[in-house]
Amino acid sequence: MSIIRLHSAVLAGFNPLEPVVSVPLFRISVGGWQIPVSNHMFVVTMGAVLLVIGIPLIMRTKRMVAAGYLQNLIESICVYLREEVAKPVMGMAGDRYIGFVWTVFFFVLTLNLLGMVPTEKIIMLLTGRENRLGGPATANIWITGAMAAVTFFMTHITGIREQGLWRYIVNFAPPVPWWMIPLIYFLEIIGAFVKPFVLAIRLFANMIAGHMILATFIGLIFILKSYGAVALSMTFAVGQSFLELFVAFLQAFIFTFLSALYIGSSIQAEH
Amino acid sequence: MIDLTSSILAEAAAASGKPELALFGAMIGCAVIIIGAAFGIALIGSKAVESIARQPEAGGRISMTMIIAGALIEGVTFFALLVCFLAVFWLRG
Repeated sequence: MSIIRLHSAVLAGFNPLEPVVSVPLFRISVGGWQIPVSNHMFVVTMGAVLLVIGIPLIMRTKRMVAAGYLQNLIESICVYLREEVAKPVMGMAGDRYIGFVWTVFFFVLTLNLLGMVPTEKIIMLLTGRENRLGGPATANIWITGAMAAVTFFMTHITGIREQGLWRYIVNFAPPVPWWMIPLIYFLEIIGAFVKPFVLAIRLFANMIAGHMILATFIGLIFILKSYGAVALSMTFAVGQSFLELFVAFLQAFIFTFLSALYIGSSIQAEH
Repeated sequence: MIDLTSSILAEAAAASGKPELALFGAMIGCAVIIIGAAFGIALIGSKAVESIARQPEAGGRISMTMIIAGALIEGVTFFALLVCFLAVFWLRG
């Protein structure tokens, strides 16, 4: 592997973002508008259908002791989220919003894990046609931004519903000396917009960084065109894939935990 | 590796105009951000391990808190890294 070849390869224009970004598959004309349907939207639909059909199918026996390992798995995840995430931060009122917490966790986890499954390659192997029917859906700032917007609206709407509009606005800032209230209120208002934004960016950046590194490792094989590069790249790609599986679970948990934390801190008045 | 870096920078400097300075600045910015993040997460990790050594039965809660704090720091880090990334792509024309 000579330095000159790597030099020319880096300037050859290989784009590691190319397998990660969303590409429009087809366009739907509604009225006067052209709505593009991208591959990330297809993956989100696939994940939603998987969850809406799969989870009630798995959890169909309603006995005291769960039957089967899949039902046991999902039940233990739900119990863990209720006991360790919802109860400490949301208190006794947490059971009203536990459905939201479970939905967020399973949805983000499914999208993250579907990003690790090479669906477009599987479809190409089965049907023989080149397609772009897969991709990491959470590596798209619009999708994570939409989920963070749902958390944002959930936070404030539940806070207003639990405490009433006037008490919610008054309790927005923690109790501080009277001369600090305008500054603290201003900071809390900024924080209310920054927190969901950082929630979206955290998930988006983790996913896109992991997939970009994976794409770079695989792209090195095409640039260097040698067997040593294949061995080294595939080793690192397998290691990176394991790390990405861990990051998928961790980021789903962090998104869920922070959503529950924000909802919990808006339900309980800061007294 | 040093040959590679210097040749890339030489080609960048040969092309006239300012946008390559943005690339240079963004790369230096990335390195400094990573130093800050690694320092912060290492501090949290070391304090967590010390606390678990002092009180092993609180190990579950302490490690959960450590993971959450680590993810929060990483969130801010990635935010700053994305700003560096945008500087590369927006200012390059």
